Parts: sequence; C-alpha cells; structure tokens
Amino acid sequence: MSELEICNITKDYGPSRALHPVSIAVERGEFVTILGPSGCGKSTLLRILTGITQPSGGEIHLGGKRIDQAPPEARDVAMVFQSYALFPHMSVAGNLAFGLKMKKVRKDERARRMAHALEICNLAGLVDRMPRQLSGGQQQRVALARAIVMQPSLLLFDEPLSNLDAKLRDTLRHELTELHRRIGATSLYVTHDQAEAMAMSDRIVVMNEGRVVETGTPLELYRAPKHVFTATFLGQTNLLPVVARGAEAQLPWGQSVALDAPATGDIQVSVRPENIDICADEAGSGTVCAVSFMGANALYTVEIGGRRIRVSQSGVEHLIETGRRVTLQFPGPVHRLNGTTAQEAA
Amino acid sequence: MGGLLRDRRAQLLLLLAPGVGYLLVFFGGPLLSALIGSFRQDDGSFTLVFYERIFTRASMMRGLSTSIYYGVMPVIVSLAASVPLALLIRRSFFGRKLFSGLYKLPMAVPGIIVGLMVIVVFERGGFLDRLVAPLGLGLPKLVRDDWGIGVILASVWKQVPFMTLIITSAFAAIPEDIRNAARTLGASRLKTFFIVEVPLAMPGITAAILLTFIGSMGSYAIPDIVGPPTARPLSVLMVKEFNQGRFNQVYAMGMVLSLFAVSVLLLYYSLTSRIGTGQNRGDAS
Repeated sequence: MSELEICNITKDYGPSRALHPVSIAVERGEFVTILGPSGCGKSTLLRILTGITQPSGGEIHLGGKRIDQAPPEARDVAMVFQSYALFPHMSVAGNLAFGLKMKKVRKDERARRMAHALEICNLAGLVDRMPRQLSGGQQQRVALARAIVMQPSLLLFDEPLSNLDAKLRDTLRHELTELHRRIGATSLYVTHDQAEAMAMSDRIVVMNEGRVVETGTPLELYRAPKHVFTATFLGQTNLLPVVARGAEAQLPWGQSVALDAPATGDIQVSVRPENIDICADEAGSGTVCAVSFMGANALYTVEIGGRRIRVSQSGVEHLIETGRRVTLQFPGPVHRLNGTTAQEAA
Repeated sequence: MGGLLRDRRAQLLLLLAPGVGYLLVFFGGPLLSALIGSFRQDDGSFTLVFYERIFTRASMMRGLSTSIYYGVMPVIVSLAASVPLALLIRRSFFGRKLFSGLYKLPMAVPGIIVGLMVIVVFERGGFLDRLVAPLGLGLPKLVRDDWGIGVILASVWKQVPFMTLIITSAFAAIPEDIRNAARTLGASRLKTFFIVEVPLAMPGITAAILLTFIGSMGSYAIPDIVGPPTARPLSVLMVKEFNQGRFNQVYAMGMVLSLFAVSVLLLYYSLTSRIGTGQNRGDAS
C-alpha cells in the first residue's frame, strides 16, 4: 500500500460537482505535483486532504490509517499556504513553535527541531522578527519551516510560489527541490505552472475539470502524453489530424511521417516544435509567417497546407526571414495521441 | 504678506488652521471654560471646594462609584453576549440575512425609550411578570433595584448590536487561511479561537469595549428612569445640580467624569501599542 492513497474522492457543492471520483497514490518520500488550470479542483483536493473541507464521498488513507473523517488537528499533515498564512501576532520563532506546542512536543525536542528547520530554510538571523518585518520570499520560507518542523507524514503545498516575482520563484523552486532531497518528506504540490511541475516533480498528476486526466513522470508526460489536454497543457505542441497506415501517416499537406505507435485510419498526433526541422527552400510548400529570436532558440510560425505550425530551432546562426519559403522535416517519429478530449480520459 | 506665505511655518499653521482651529474653538474652548468654571467661586476667586465636595460628600462618592459600575457591568454582560453572537452570524443558517438586519435595530432606539421598555417588560406587574404569574411564579425586583439590574439590562440591550457589529468585522478581517493554518498545525477549534483569533481580533474588541463603556458611563436617561433612587450616577446628579443652577459644581463633576473616560482611553492606547509591537516575542525556548 502506498503512503498516501486517495480513493474515489468526490466533492459536490449543491448540484455542481467540483471533484469527480479522484484517485491518486503517492509513495513514501515521493514528490508528486498536481497540475491543472485554475478551477480544476486541485486546491479543493488539497483542502480535503488537510481536513479543512469535507469530501462528499471516497476514502483517504495516510500511512495505512484512514484519515478522511478525522478533524484537521488530528491528521499528520502540514500545509504551506499560497498566502503564507503566518500568524501576524507571533514572531518567526512563535510561528514555528505553534504547531509543536499544539502537538505537545517536549521542550528540548522542540528547540532541536526548530533549530534544524531554521537552518535548512536559511532563517537563522530572523528568529525574532515579526512576519510584517519580512520580505515575501522570507515569509514563504517561514511558512515552509513552520510546516517541515512538524515532520509530517504528508507535506502539502498550495501554489506556494505564485505570489513571488519570477526571479525569486526560480531561486525558491531550487531551494524546495534541494530541501525535498534532504528531508525526503512525502509531498503533494499543487500548481498551474507547468514549468514548475516539470522541474520539481517525481511524478505529475494532470487534472482538468475535477478529474485526473493522466499521471506520469515529467518526461513521460512531455514526450508521450496520452491525451490532448496533457499535450497542450505541458509545453507547446502542434496537434495535427493524420491518416495512419500502420507505422506511417500522412500529414494534411501530403507529407509522410513515421508514427511512434502503429495505427490505421484518422488519428491525431502531437509534434513538439523542437522535433521539427526547418530549412529554407525556394521550392518548399511552407511560408514563414513570424519569427522570434529567444536567445537559446528561434521560434517560427510556418503556414503550410492552410495550417500554422510552430517550429523551434536551437543553435541558430542565421534567421530565416518572414515570407521565405521553407520545407519542414520530421527527423523522429511523431507521437500518436489516444484520447481526443480530457473527458474521454476519465 | 508674500513674505509671510513663503515662511514654511506660517504656511503650515495656515494649512492646519481649518482642522485644528475647529477643534480648538468647538471642543477645546468649551472644555477650557468648563475647567476654569469648576475652579471658580461665584465672586470669581479660585477654589477647590467643588472637587472637594465630589470626593467628600457621601452622595457624590456614591455617584462616582455608581457611574463606574454602570459603565463596567453592561460592558461585561454585553461582551459575553456579543462574542458568541458575532461567531454565530459568521456561520450560515436559515434566516441569517433577516437576523443580521434585525439585530441592529436597537441601535436606532433612543435610551429613554429603552428605559421605558424595560419598565413595561420587567417591572413587577409588567409584561413578563403577568406572563409567568399563571405558573405561580413572580419576577424578582428588576427595575429600580439596588443592584441596578434594570439599568444593566437596558444598557446591554442598547449596546449588544453595536458591539456585535464591531466584533463581527474584527473576526471577519482575519484571513480564513490563518484559521486553517492553525487547524492543520494541530490546534483544535477552541484553541484556534483563543490563541489565534481572539488576539488578532483584540484591537476591534477593545475598541468596542471602550466605546460602550464611555457611552454607558455617561448615559443619563436609562439610570434616571430604571435606576434605584438610592444610588444615582454622576450623570444623573449633574442634571439635578444643573436644574438647581449650580453650574460650577456641574463643571467639576463633568471634569471628573471626563478625566475617567480619558484615562481609560489612554490605558487602551498604551495596551494596544504594546500588543502591536512585540507579542510572543522570542519564543524559541
């Protein structure tokens, strides 16, 4: 049995269903991210795990014990809130000590755990500060320290980096990954930021409209998504209808490509922009509509056969100008999608 | 003139004049004249006799302690009613909208009418008394009784809505996530309330206490109508003195009453400023 088992959890608000039966399993020490657009039910699921929100149905097991009926204070779960939710009337030390006092941890043990949490969250000099005397990044680290000092069986993160500016977000993302490597707590991290999810997670659970769309490692989900929703939500892609004949398929403009899984008939494929080669060719059937130079790569939008295809080319020495004729080449097999919509997946 | 306007300090004084000037003329002026009046004999000579009377005469001393009693007791009772009420209003229940509209009504009712209502309802032979009479029960003396229960009842009836209003918004201002964070960190509902919510709502609660205390300490109509004849608060005694034309005595009593209210206010400020800077500081041990 996994450390955390979420079995068929549902949540209804009156007649509307926020969560369709959702089942997720997280192994001990694993860092799993729930990724989905806002309103997909991921935060509701997190609140159900803490006990703040009551599920309408289903079961949750943590460390072999059923916890879905227990009040929040009786669960061995700690959460890092999006708004930090520090106690404004307590110092950093007071915030950290709060949970330990509530769980009646002995004084010497409390001091030891707090010193450890302060050290690994780089808060050593800020013990006596009040929350309002701290910057956003520092407050976030205090919120993190307050959760890890509890040494919970399950550590939850509710979009903890979304209130920070891009640079700080990047730094804290690295710190979080490093921290998880060191303390190895079973973690469930909720975000709508696909880059964050891919960079940090052992596994990603993609959610949409109150359902789990699919689950996999970042690499699996990026390279071989089963569903259109995953393909489009994780990074950029080109979705194309093709006519398949075994291991080969014909693109809408007649070009032939190899398929990664054989099929027959009308299917849909997903081709990442970086898996297409672009080549200036006066006899080519495509036309460059737009080009933007990003530094590490160049992004082209190419019109071909009445469609717009996005192509990314790295290590560029010369840009192909807008309006030039080009040919597109597909060096590897293109990825065949299974389901067509997220609904079908559930 | 142009030189004067260029002077930084003159500019400042001119800019402050509308606000500060208004306060000086309409607040400071009367206060000062009352203060001077309280130290003056009719012939204009300086005296402390009016203050001496307040602190030596039995009726005056009784008046002072009664004023404080009528200030403190209703606040305690109102607080005991308002905090649970504020928590109740936060939850959703059937008829909540109607209730939160209705409970504010007593604020609009003048004190004198509240006093009369208390008489009609709680007087012996009044509404409640006749209601329980068939059961063989009788109401104890609640109006013009020695403990001033009628006064406390009337003041509470008038204060609870105001207090509830302020305390409700004080609790509502605490972000939901802070409450949730306390729960996930192992605090029960009750502990969350006392360790997290009450301290955070404290500025609002103390403001409500202060305002209702000053209001009921200085109120005249309610203690005059439903209070016992033996113990009259300073406010009622002041009106009596006023009717007999002893203005200087009235000034002195007013000064004592104001001094009391101001000292409570100062106490409040010193307490809240301390809460603001460093509560629970250095809790590392």
